[in-house]
Amino acid sequence: MATIINPERFGRPFLNAAAYWKGFYRLLGYILKNIGALNVPPVRQVFYRQVYFTGIEALWVVSLIAAFSGMVIAGQITSLAGPNSPFTAKIMLWMLVRELGPLLTAIVIIARSSSAMASELASMKIRGEADSLRMMGVDVMDYLVVPRIAGMTLSVVATTFYFQMTAIVMGFAFVAAAQDVPFLTSMEGVLSILDLTEVLVSLLKAFVFGLVISITSCYYGLSAPRSVTAVPRAATRAVMQNLVSVFFLDGIITYAFFL
Amino acid sequence: MIRFDQVTLGALRAFSCEIPPGAVCRITTASEDRKNELAATLFGTARPEQGRIELFGADLYALPVKERVRLFRRIGVVPEHGGLIGNLKVWENILLPAWYHLGKTAEQAEGEVVRMYEDFGFGGDYVKRLMGRLPDQLSIYEKRVAALIRAMLTNAEIMIYDSLFSGLDRDVAARLYRITERFHPERPGRISLYLCADDAFSQRIKADLTVALDAED
Repeated sequence: MATIINPERFGRPFLNAAAYWKGFYRLLGYILKNIGALNVPPVRQVFYRQVYFTGIEALWVVSLIAAFSGMVIAGQITSLAGPNSPFTAKIMLWMLVRELGPLLTAIVIIARSSSAMASELASMKIRGEADSLRMMGVDVMDYLVVPRIAGMTLSVVATTFYFQMTAIVMGFAFVAAAQDVPFLTSMEGVLSILDLTEVLVSLLKAFVFGLVISITSCYYGLSAPRSVTAVPRAATRAVMQNLVSVFFLDGIITYAFFL
Repeated sequence: MIRFDQVTLGALRAFSCEIPPGAVCRITTASEDRKNELAATLFGTARPEQGRIELFGADLYALPVKERVRLFRRIGVVPEHGGLIGNLKVWENILLPAWYHLGKTAEQAEGEVVRMYEDFGFGGDYVKRLMGRLPDQLSIYEKRVAALIRAMLTNAEIMIYDSLFSGLDRDVAARLYRITERFHPERPGRISLYLCADDAFSQRIKADLTVALDAED
């Protein structure tokens, strides 16, 4: 007897996941092939705006989180290991450069920009603005997707680097003020054990996070059905998917390079 | 340059017509609904049930999406609701296609846009304020004027006006019509196509070709 395959039997989540991965790789392939679209002035303008919204506007909140993280971690390590301990610099580096820098920056970007990007694209689709762009002869992928992915990825990398520097400087400034540990000595300790690979791998993490966050946000925005309720759903799905992806990828990259 | 070949859309009977270069054409439908279906099909967003639509000799729906979009660089579309992009200011909306396809900068286009707005009866200070607004803050007339100027700025080979006059005062509609009528011959061989429901004002359009589409009974 012939079996009729009912897609529902496989479960909606499985089908959604398959559609997500297909869409993700399609967008990834597109951006790799069409990054040259950034040479078109209006596309470059969208790119600059994305960098401004995702990177520059996020700096104050990234600064606050970086400063507090740095202070808490530096304060705790100094209390545990004592002042001038060789472990202080090492743990600071491991925690802030390898892990918390890329991870917390990615979380801030997901909270601020991923939901905004997904809902903006979903709204544009629902309001027929994507069709309007096509009627003007403007390729929707080139104009809406390429600059957003490029802008957000660059912003995550730059903001991560900024987070790492701010956290270390503010952390050591705090222990210098609160626990009388010389600031320059602490900084020298970090710089003496910091190598280029450490920084490059942490920036690679940021790059991968940026790419995944932006592609996922564009995917959920553009795949939203034409219904008003689709906008918040697109934003929620993008945020949840990004959070899961970022933690998963963080584990993979840390395992591959540091364990 | 535009050819409908046995095109069937929803309740509309299959129809064929050819609009040659340089012609002004008026296509009317019995209802707004039918007109919307026709517009969506012509704009490449809804495939007809049967038949083919040719633009510049190419079968619109046989083209890959990227090629289809590229074709629209040669067409100026003025959608009924303006088709403006919500997160761009009016000025950015007007400039977008000309900047994207022709490389026209804001400085190059500014004088031209101000002159066009004057033709529409908008004064200098008002235009300045208008340029900084977002589309949602505009009336339907202001949206259509912005869309019209956006299309005119590209000096397109085909101009498609979708319900350009619907819902407007008679005088305002007449002014819009005069401007599109004057714009038509500025480029030799340009097609101007007016899509409209069969209303009183649409009868005033002086067309070389009129196609009245009826629904099947």
